[in-house]
Amino acid sequence: MSETARNRLMLAIALIMAAIYLFPLYWMYVTSLKSGSEMFANPPSFWPSSAQWQTFAFVWESRNMSRYLWNSTVIAFGSVALIAVLGTGCAYVLARYRNVWVDVGLFLILMLQVLPASLMVTPIFVGFTQVGLLDYPRLAVILAIAAKSMPFFMVLVRATFMAVPMELEEAALVDGNSRVGAFFNIVLPLARNGILVSAILIFMQAFGEFVYSKSMIQDVSLQPASVGLNSFMGPNTSEWNNIMAYATMYVTPILAIFVLLQRRIVSGLTSGALK
Amino acid sequence: MTQQIELSGVNKYYGAYHALRDINLSIPKGAFVALVGPSGCGKSTLLRSLAGLETISSGDLVIAGERMNDMPPRKRDLAMVFQSYALYPHMTVEQNLTYSLRIKGVKKAEAKKAADEVAAITGLSDLLHRYPRELSGGQRQRVAMSRAIIRHPKAFLFDEPLSNLDAALRVHMRKEIRALHDRLGATSVYVTHDQVEAMTMADHVVIMRSGVIEQQGRPLDLYDRPANRFVAGFIGSPAMNFIPGKVTRNGREIVLDLPGSHSLAIDLDLPPDHAVLVGIRPEHVRIATQGERGFDVPIAAVEFTGASTFVTTDTMPEIVFVLNERSSLKIGETIRLTFAPENVHVFDAKTEQRLGLKD
Amino acid sequence: MRRIFASVRDGRGFDIVLVGVPFAFLFALAGLPLIYNILMSFQEVDMFSLGSFIRPFVGIDNYVALFKQPETWPILTNTLIFVVGSIGGQFLIGFGLALFFWTNFPGASWLRGLFLVSWVMPGLVVGAIWNWILSGDFGVLNFFLRESGLITANIFWRSDPSFSLWAVVIANVWLGTSFNMILLSVGLSDIPGDLYEAADMDGANAWQRFWTITLPMMRSTIGAIIALGLIFTLQQFDLFAAITDGGPNNSSNVAQYWAWDLSFRQYDFGRGATISVIMTVFVMFAAAVYVRSTRHEVRG
Repeated sequence: MSETARNRLMLAIALIMAAIYLFPLYWMYVTSLKSGSEMFANPPSFWPSSAQWQTFAFVWESRNMSRYLWNSTVIAFGSVALIAVLGTGCAYVLARYRNVWVDVGLFLILMLQVLPASLMVTPIFVGFTQVGLLDYPRLAVILAIAAKSMPFFMVLVRATFMAVPMELEEAALVDGNSRVGAFFNIVLPLARNGILVSAILIFMQAFGEFVYSKSMIQDVSLQPASVGLNSFMGPNTSEWNNIMAYATMYVTPILAIFVLLQRRIVSGLTSGALK
Repeated sequence: MTQQIELSGVNKYYGAYHALRDINLSIPKGAFVALVGPSGCGKSTLLRSLAGLETISSGDLVIAGERMNDMPPRKRDLAMVFQSYALYPHMTVEQNLTYSLRIKGVKKAEAKKAADEVAAITGLSDLLHRYPRELSGGQRQRVAMSRAIIRHPKAFLFDEPLSNLDAALRVHMRKEIRALHDRLGATSVYVTHDQVEAMTMADHVVIMRSGVIEQQGRPLDLYDRPANRFVAGFIGSPAMNFIPGKVTRNGREIVLDLPGSHSLAIDLDLPPDHAVLVGIRPEHVRIATQGERGFDVPIAAVEFTGASTFVTTDTMPEIVFVLNERSSLKIGETIRLTFAPENVHVFDAKTEQRLGLKD
Repeated sequence: MRRIFASVRDGRGFDIVLVGVPFAFLFALAGLPLIYNILMSFQEVDMFSLGSFIRPFVGIDNYVALFKQPETWPILTNTLIFVVGSIGGQFLIGFGLALFFWTNFPGASWLRGLFLVSWVMPGLVVGAIWNWILSGDFGVLNFFLRESGLITANIFWRSDPSFSLWAVVIANVWLGTSFNMILLSVGLSDIPGDLYEAADMDGANAWQRFWTITLPMMRSTIGAIIALGLIFTLQQFDLFAAITDGGPNNSSNVAQYWAWDLSFRQYDFGRGATISVIMTVFVMFAAAVYVRSTRHEVRG
């Protein structure tokens, strides 16, 4: 078999596998366009007979999605800002030195990275109640997410900083710059892409965060879209086309960002998790 | 002469590791000093300590009359050329050159003028708007040099700047760097592991091993009177031969551990039977003429480089010598070798320090 | 004062500030809660004593009572099944896909990256989609299974106690497979190609090359991925919330969901803290394994 024929065959198989793997995503989009009766047809239809575009507007209005998505955005941006401001410098120091203290710091960070939110939420909730932070529930969630995700961000960004040669910073120092100046002038611009990719990953995580928001935000008007989706899905719901429309409007922006920046996100992710 | 850089009693520890041991070094203004030694000898640590990238643990570091022990690098006014060049990848050549000036707050037009001048000297005028990744290795090297030159620093520090270049370019750049140094009247400290670079470029060579300065001085002085076996073996290529030997009963001769009953008549102030190591450079060994006394040794290898011939003997330890002509010597053939007593270096077998010959 | 400022600008002080602030933050928001959690597991904490700092100390009563509850062991067993099932599925399918995409045809790396959408989507959305796919009467999975002749009657994935846990496992395998596959791909591409050429010259066939070169060379990667899988699996919460809610009758409940349920549905924070402490120990253990298998890389 020639090289091109083999490549075409492999590509065809790969496309089929991708299609199977991504079927659930397709099913979400298709269901969101189906009418109430078509949704329950047997056998199920794999292409909507008449696309019900008005479902989106209906769900958007009736579920008050703009408010939910706004809250998700506020929480995600708040968390990312806090994480990036605090985590970047720390990751830089952990990348720059190699000694026992750095190893200890890395170990602590990895340990914190693995703590499940559903286990940490109990003490955080009780503690926040006692110090009065629950009066500002979105801030409380931002703080909790920041503590949860910062270690992951540090691990990813540290890998980026490791790729910036130390000599460049030293050259800047000899050229007359201070540590602060060299960090902002030389090191940070060179690590910019990696930091950005890591921040986007954290943003996507925070945008879909559920445990903390569900537990700490009682006021419906402050809840993010994940909690909104949860309360939409009652135990015996039959509005699947509406729920899928909600899900579609919720994840499509995230998926769009991911597909656009896929290459960078994948390489950033892999450099941090294994190296 | 005024001293541009003075180190006295400098020590550097990394935890328990003693990286620099009691370093004393004076570098006069305008000198070209080479720090040379095998990897891990502390030469780079010493250079980085001068730059302020490492802090010394004890001792005094004085640059242009000012104690600099705890000064951050930016206040030392030294320029450094890194082994990897350390060009800022997100800046053009011109921005790289003017970086230090911009930090100092020099006006844009002035900085540009300075960059143009330096680029004219180093032949970078056409490349000012390129990025480092668009340059060849040799061009990057020039940018790194130019970035140092533009500052008119108190001294230039070079950290193996030529080791990433191919052999031909390296020989060329050697001369160019030295010429630049002379032209600028600069003070330079040059770290290298290549003794040929050190010997050809420097006025003053500092040989280091395990954090200790083994010997320093003018290149040919080091070559002619190495202070110990290490220096003797490090300087010169092919390396000096070392043959174990023993002082005779009367203390006036050395018997070498080689076949043949020949002994060297050397006047040393040593007790009889004292064990020594005799060093002789390959170019000082010659084949004995008819009837001359010498050592009869079999030949193990003959290598032709074109201009000269390297011969290795089948002895323990082997002796390498150089003939400046094509030779018809055959492997296995036994020849008689000899060398003049005045070309011999004698070292103590135990301490490996040089033993003074009576003049 | 000036010296401190100079140090922040030029020396060690800069590093200390950069590290100190985030670590103080992490200590306050992760370290303290961890300690507080342990403290609460020895206290009686309910809705009424929530706001006060002084609460009845009950020693190890919470632990004793917890293990006396009839649902405890089934839930811990569920947790084990969930972990093993999820990791096994994610790893095997992920490895298979990674090996397939390793053959580097044009478009391979882009397509491979596309798989990762399952991992970047919010867990609750993944749960919602699978909830619908797994639905009993109208679920599309049951349709496929019927059509292919694997089943004759619909499986009620979410409401049948013998399937409810597996419903979450399936969703979790789908969610995590792509992440496994991406990391395994990196491990595979890090194996030097000349090793295979050498083995080829030595007469090894493809099967032998896989067992004698690929697997041994992937050992640390595989260790890291299994440990990461354990960590992620024990963090999984959203899928339970979105698919089965732990039911019916705790048949799909796992420890990390139960801990939350005890605290926030039954308002027994003391017991919620107790199960959290127990699980935290397990997770820390997994993390230690992960650090061990990537240690050479952590040190660089």
